[in-house]
Amino acid sequence: MLSLIGKQVAAVLAGAAMVVAATGAQAQSAPKPVQIGLITPLSGIYARPGTVMKMGAELAIADVNKAGGIACMGGAPLELVVVDSGDTIEKATNAAQRMIADYPDLVGATGAYLSSFTLAASEVTERANLPLLTLSYSDQITNRGFRNIFQTSATAGVQAQLALPIILDLAEKQSGKRPKTVAIITDNTAASIASVKRMKEGLLKDVGLDLVVEEVFTPPLSDATALVQQVRQKRPDLLFFLPTVISDSKLILEKMKEFRVNVPVISFGIAIAEPEVLNTMQAEMLENVMSAVANWGTKGEEGLIKRMKDVYGEPWMTQNAISTYGDIWLFKDALEKSCSRDRAALGDAFRKLDAGPSKYYPGGILSFDEKGHRKGASLTIIQWQKGVPVTIFPEDLALAKPVWPSK
Amino acid sequence: MKFVLTKSTWVFLALALAYLALAVFVTNSYYQLILTLVLIWAAFGLSWNILSGYTGLISFGHASFFGIGAFATVLAQIYLSISPWIMVFISGFIGVAVALVIGLPTFRLRGHYFALSMLAYPLAFMYVFLWLGFPEVSVPHVRDNPAAYMQFSDGRIYTLIAMVFLICVVLVSRAIESSRFGMALIAIKQNEAAAEAAGIDALRWKLKAIALSGAIAAMAGSLYAIVILVITPQSVFGMLVSAQALTVAMFGGVGTLWGPLIGAGFLIPVAEILHAELGNVLPGIQGVVYGLAIVILITLAPEGVYWKVRDWVRKARAPQADRSPAEAGSGTSEIAPTEGPPRAIAPEIVLDVRNMSKNFGGLSAVQDVSFRVNQGMILGIIGPNGAGKTTLFNLLNGFQVPTAGEVLVNGTDMARRKPHELCRAGVGRTFQVMRPFTRMSVRDNVRVGAYVRAASEAEAADIAADALTQVGLLPIADRLAGELSTRDLRLMELARALAGGPHILLLDETLAGLGRDESADVVEVIKRLSASGITIVIIEHTMHAMVHLVDRFLVLDHGQVIMEGPPAQVTKDPRVIEAYLGKKWRANAED
Repeated sequence: MLSLIGKQVAAVLAGAAMVVAATGAQAQSAPKPVQIGLITPLSGIYARPGTVMKMGAELAIADVNKAGGIACMGGAPLELVVVDSGDTIEKATNAAQRMIADYPDLVGATGAYLSSFTLAASEVTERANLPLLTLSYSDQITNRGFRNIFQTSATAGVQAQLALPIILDLAEKQSGKRPKTVAIITDNTAASIASVKRMKEGLLKDVGLDLVVEEVFTPPLSDATALVQQVRQKRPDLLFFLPTVISDSKLILEKMKEFRVNVPVISFGIAIAEPEVLNTMQAEMLENVMSAVANWGTKGEEGLIKRMKDVYGEPWMTQNAISTYGDIWLFKDALEKSCSRDRAALGDAFRKLDAGPSKYYPGGILSFDEKGHRKGASLTIIQWQKGVPVTIFPEDLALAKPVWPSK
Repeated sequence: MKFVLTKSTWVFLALALAYLALAVFVTNSYYQLILTLVLIWAAFGLSWNILSGYTGLISFGHASFFGIGAFATVLAQIYLSISPWIMVFISGFIGVAVALVIGLPTFRLRGHYFALSMLAYPLAFMYVFLWLGFPEVSVPHVRDNPAAYMQFSDGRIYTLIAMVFLICVVLVSRAIESSRFGMALIAIKQNEAAAEAAGIDALRWKLKAIALSGAIAAMAGSLYAIVILVITPQSVFGMLVSAQALTVAMFGGVGTLWGPLIGAGFLIPVAEILHAELGNVLPGIQGVVYGLAIVILITLAPEGVYWKVRDWVRKARAPQADRSPAEAGSGTSEIAPTEGPPRAIAPEIVLDVRNMSKNFGGLSAVQDVSFRVNQGMILGIIGPNGAGKTTLFNLLNGFQVPTAGEVLVNGTDMARRKPHELCRAGVGRTFQVMRPFTRMSVRDNVRVGAYVRAASEAEAADIAADALTQVGLLPIADRLAGELSTRDLRLMELARALAGGPHILLLDETLAGLGRDESADVVEVIKRLSASGITIVIIEHTMHAMVHLVDRFLVLDHGQVIMEGPPAQVTKDPRVIEAYLGKKWRANAED
């Protein structure tokens, strides 16, 4: 009897132990999420690209968590913390300060879209030792000796250096004539200024281009007449156009059409290739306009491009979506290496990271130099073709063949 | 220092300590930042108060100084590696320089014109810095020995630094408030003409005020840049920065050092916390808070929280405090009539006016007027309305520049000199429309007049008490000028003029608006002053009270002297009667 009771007791105890063990295991299989910040404009004139970054981040968080989270931390899932950086430098600084103060568990962040905002926000994150990934490409971002900023795009200077010969070769090959003169219309945000600075300090000369007009404006523009008049008078072979606000691209392209200024337009940056552009402009006005951008949906990412369309209704994959998507995967890579919720350890992991060829950014590898540049980072060149901006360079990632805009 | 360390200063120091004690327990870095910003904006508000609060010249452009300090500090560290510890002070000097460059031309303007032109300076600076290629600059991050560059990982140290700065600014403000500097500024605010007449060189004091104000604002900007890390022309020269100074000072109370402290202590945390908590949902909520605060304030307490509260407290205490003077009539001592022997006039000429003319376009207000005033004499200038009496007076004491002619005071030509210079030369005046400094006590009103010749605060107080005794106002010396009757205001103006130690006193319709008895009181005081050796020139519209007061009359009509002589002769002269009553009465008088 006793032994029977003893056996029963033992069985119950064993059962209880198993339950305890199982709960324990469950607790272990669902560890506390790891918080990653996304600081980006969600209000004001830059809200649209910020929202697209959020879409990219959300897709990637879902994908990483579906693939088992951070394996070395017991499969801890990633959690996105979204902070609105607003539409001014002051608001971005303030938002970064609030992010640091309000989310002490944050291990890292990505942001803040506009180079001017990234410069400001990183002043705060650097001092708080928080690793910040960024798609912003002003050269200044990685020229301040910061240790906790990681620039996944090629810098503006490098992009201009890579882009100019490609564009000129294309022009010569397709039109039979090599362009000699160029006009530049640029806004005064940090990335645009960085690109123009590099062009004027040698790149234009290297490719034999003569700068005949340079106009700088503060976004948003209210009227583009004066700018376009300048271009019309000087009749350059090419127009380099560096806007960051969609409405500015619209105003200038419209004004050019109105004044019948038929200069081939090469843009730098994505403001001319955002889906919203089509809300206010005819696709034919944009046909063949090219832009040098840091990143774009490319060959091999057709699945993602389709998901953006299905989930969010985005007609194509811009730099903001794809780079932010890639950033979250990069966080996973680094977290697997640091295997810690500590910011400093994650920063070390990024500095020592070597995760092989780049998957979601054009060119180079997933590794950073001592300044925080991604090694070998290149750019993509896109072109409006039949109402869609498609990647035409690099050739191995291109979704279409380039067409030189005929005068 | 004894003027500085008053009770309210100790109250402030106690509050400052309590604030620091609170700051020690704040660990959230964002709230630490807010605690620091409150102090910086309070100091900035105080700097605005030193210029605009005390002088009443509203500055919409204090961002000029703030921004210059901020940019100087950051750029000096970027390009010259100069530590902010040094740049905070250099910024102060830069602030002084900018303030003087801005002040010299701008102080030619008054009122709205001054306010609007001040608005232009920060806007200009904003575009200059954009054009120079500084759309965004940030404080370089220093890794080795960051403390040498005022960089600390603990935000509470910034709160401490800002508090030390604020305490210094409060002590400076306190020292100004209780010295002739502050008195001069308040006098200028309440009445620039009266201040000039009381011997205050308004331009010089205003320049001193803007220089000091600019220095403090620039230092505040310098600290702001250090704690906020990233600055843009918009963030330090923008309209909101200038408005910030105005808002905190006007909310708390203009013209008192408590104003900006109350304003910053309330508005900044409220706006920042709302921004932190609701910024994602309601962007720009701070702006709404400021807007509402200003609307509510202007409606309920146009002079600010401090003055509103002080008026309530005074009202609550009034039943005990204010009765006694009311019971004792007007509260002034009795003025006994003086029955002196017939007056002897000294032969010395102290005031000699030669061929004075003043034209306003085609109108000749004063034409070729000449007269002499002997030492100790009382000269009455009379004439009907529009005869040019007040214009003549303004020419005598420097408020207007004559078209031609000379004013010899003791043999020196003083025409075309500034009012405060004439005051120094011993020519005092009162105004037809009374110009009291209403927010100041009777004693302080008179003290302003004494600074012309007082070397120290104590001497100024003595002179003021003496002048008040002469006019019989000493018993009500501590009441606010705004509470006085017309008679007492006239007497106070007399005392203020007396405090300057004049040997010639110009009285502009001192008897206007007084009843017969009141008028008699004032006449007695004037007689006493004359008896004490002061030469008096008095303008009056009416003749009756004057007949028993003056030694001689000068009668003006249409800007010209029509008659001069002793009262008995003048009152019978047909030309005088005609000027006053018309030709018909002249015919009667001749009968």
